[in-house]
Amino acid sequence: MQAADEERKGLSKVASVVGVGHTDWHTDYRAQRAGEKATLDSVGLGALAFVRALEDSGLKRDDIDGLIVGPTTPYERMGEVLGLDVRWGGQADAMLAVIQACMAIKSGLAEVVALVYGNAQRSQKVNYGGTNAAGGASFLSYVYHAPWGFTSQGALYALMFRRYMEETGLKPEELGQVAVAQRAAASLNPEAVMQKPITIEDYLTSAFVCEPLHLFDYCLINDGGVALIICEAERARSLRPDPVVIHGVGRYDLNSGATSLEPRLTEYYLPAQQKVARQVFDMAGVGPQDISSAQIYDSFSCHIPLALEGYGYCPPGGAGKFLAEGQHALGGTLPVNTSGGHLSESYMQGWGHQIEAVRQVRGTCGKRQVPDCNFVHYSSDVAGKAVSIIYGR
Amino acid sequence: MGKTTPVMSLSDAPMWQSIENGKLALMACKTCGTYRYPPSPICPKCLSMETEWKPIAGTGTILSWVVFHRKYFDDFPPPYNAVAVRLDEGPIIMTNLVGEEPEGSWIGKRVSLEYVDHDGRRQHAARIAE
Repeated sequence: MQAADEERKGLSKVASVVGVGHTDWHTDYRAQRAGEKATLDSVGLGALAFVRALEDSGLKRDDIDGLIVGPTTPYERMGEVLGLDVRWGGQADAMLAVIQACMAIKSGLAEVVALVYGNAQRSQKVNYGGTNAAGGASFLSYVYHAPWGFTSQGALYALMFRRYMEETGLKPEELGQVAVAQRAAASLNPEAVMQKPITIEDYLTSAFVCEPLHLFDYCLINDGGVALIICEAERARSLRPDPVVIHGVGRYDLNSGATSLEPRLTEYYLPAQQKVARQVFDMAGVGPQDISSAQIYDSFSCHIPLALEGYGYCPPGGAGKFLAEGQHALGGTLPVNTSGGHLSESYMQGWGHQIEAVRQVRGTCGKRQVPDCNFVHYSSDVAGKAVSIIYGR
Repeated sequence: MGKTTPVMSLSDAPMWQSIENGKLALMACKTCGTYRYPPSPICPKCLSMETEWKPIAGTGTILSWVVFHRKYFDDFPPPYNAVAVRLDEGPIIMTNLVGEEPEGSWIGKRVSLEYVDHDGRRQHAARIAE
């Protein structure tokens, strides 16, 4: 054990994902659009995803000794409905949930951690803009500028990306390649909410929501749940032949000037991503050239060019060319959001990206499978809080 | 739907009073002089809690802008704009551009603040400087 520990850096190879599950995004969305009432609330959606993840893992419920619940459901109630009394627990968003599970396992506070997320945001009519905008209690920038009509996270990214486009020369038809490629990937994913391919003309002629961002730049709003079972790495190997190892994690938060939008408007989160890049690649012992696919938190399409530059997949200012060449599409040098992501598969606030990363490394993604998928890089930078996780074999 | 309302923390009231009086004042650190927006209980630069309110010149430069095409508030029928302005004193504020809109890019244009009545509330707006 000691020798193995010496090989490990930080949280590298401490834990592996042994089970993933999710709800029926496509079917549920279609049913709701047809006027049917939702049958599960946020807790119920999380519970269904958990049952599926547990089944996928081959573990029994009694094996679970840690529980992390997403921010959209109460921790205690989720534990109660699942009958889970645990020796370690917490509440976190997708990316920090994975990191906290690794920390708990590394420190010996837990060995098998269930991560459970459920969000009935569509049936509950959650608003991300306007009065009572979701997230306003956590992020002052989401509500502070409302007296001037400035609201919604989309507007914050539209404002940021307008300036970025002027500084870098990135063209609307280059940004549009994100939505086009992710929809093409979703067309190969039977679970995706939106599967009908779109063209760049469809993108460019679609309505603006907050100009310069079009409708197709925005994430979906749908109900769903996602769960993962994360297990101590040695035990994971005894459970199944293909545990997906967490090779590295990293985080850097830009808080200074956040409400007055300073880090968004003047630096595009680049300093945070560059710091995280050093940490996560160093911990994993790999570099951008070793990554087979990237799963990038895409509440809006413009997250993708920002992350591509921030993590060194292209030089600063080079994302427009990268996208124009289709390097981010399936078959490209770095397929991004191979499930369709938040724009086309399902808006699960980063949780869906984790299980897509796991499935790509397992090699079970069918028509959208990235060949020889050794390492998948997950990145998010919501409101300047940059987080990365590298999954691999 | 519903109408917009300002966030009103304990630190915000003097700022809105200055707007009501037609001359925006910003909170500044009494120890190191740094302006801060939004107002806050402590200076993020030197951690002094000694503050003062200073009227600002009311001039700045547009950093970026958006146009809303969707209705979010009853008092903001689309389309309408919002601009991020770097005040000459340093902080970035959000406001609305009134008057003539520039051809092409708005970024880098100089603006001056003025005060408008918005649905029973006085607030600042920006106009392209001559």
